Amino acid sequence: MMRRISPNHDRLQSLSGTWRDINGMPSLMSIPGDEQTAAHLGIADLSFLTRFGVKGAGAAAWLESRDLEVPDRPNTWRSLPDGGIIARLGLTEFLIEDSLHSSFALRLAEACQHVPDRVYPVLRQDAAIVLCGTAIPDLLQQTCSVHFQSFSLNDHPVILTLIVGVSVTIIPIAPDRYRIWCDGTFGAYLWETLATIVQELGGGVVGADRLI
Amino acid sequence: MKLMTCPVNGARSISEFVCAGEVRPIPDPNTTNDLAWGAFVFHCNGAAGIKQEWWCHTPSDTWFIAERNTQTDEILRTYLWGEVA
Repeated sequence: MMRRISPNHDRLQSLSGTWRDINGMPSLMSIPGDEQTAAHLGIADLSFLTRFGVKGAGAAAWLESRDLEVPDRPNTWRSLPDGGIIARLGLTEFLIEDSLHSSFALRLAEACQHVPDRVYPVLRQDAAIVLCGTAIPDLLQQTCSVHFQSFSLNDHPVILTLIVGVSVTIIPIAPDRYRIWCDGTFGAYLWETLATIVQELGGGVVGADRLI
Repeated sequence: MKLMTCPVNGARSISEFVCAGEVRPIPDPNTTNDLAWGAFVFHCNGAAGIKQEWWCHTPSDTWFIAERNTQTDEILRTYLWGEVA
């Protein structure tokens, strides 16, 4: 399997914890004492999950022809069988991210070698972050201008906005769990800035084991 | 905080948007002459008033048109290209 390195790897490797290779990427799975941290405010790196992007006027129909149920409204998401996510970004773009137990992204990437007209694969080399804990609103109020409490989680909203000036895709999975994706080249900056504020708010880095 | 409404993403801080200038018909580059092409590229209408402008919501790369009073900076409405103006 191809060796992958998280965009956040440099910021994480000095932390003492349990590491494991997942999908070819060294991943921080647990840190001593991170259970308490996760309940208050935690930040974890999930870049090791596999993902796939596709856009174009024919993208929705192509995904449906691959037995995927796509969200019917712009900027919404739904769960994949076995726990992954399919998010509709705007009108005609989709992000598919696998869980540890699914392989949609890999299968779609293979199928994408021969796609019909108006279907365009999108390279996804994201920094993927998850925030957890009850103090998430305190963090987001400092870093983002979106009023997240105005969204109903039952609508499965996907929010494309800026956090500390970086373009991000955000999915509030639950009131105490937010997923964030950004272009990998901005990953280290976004991670460092968020992790610094998380620490100021009494939280810290947590391992991925608690959140997947 | 000044807000603008993206037709796809909803109301967001104006800092998430960039303006790409007034909507103007582009001359056919295959048939136009240099004078007309130069006028299209370099001569913009700077008079204040109500204008249709190209704007982009940068986090989602959504391009749309905003009708804006450039004298008062009031955004009158926003819509996607192809929607009824």
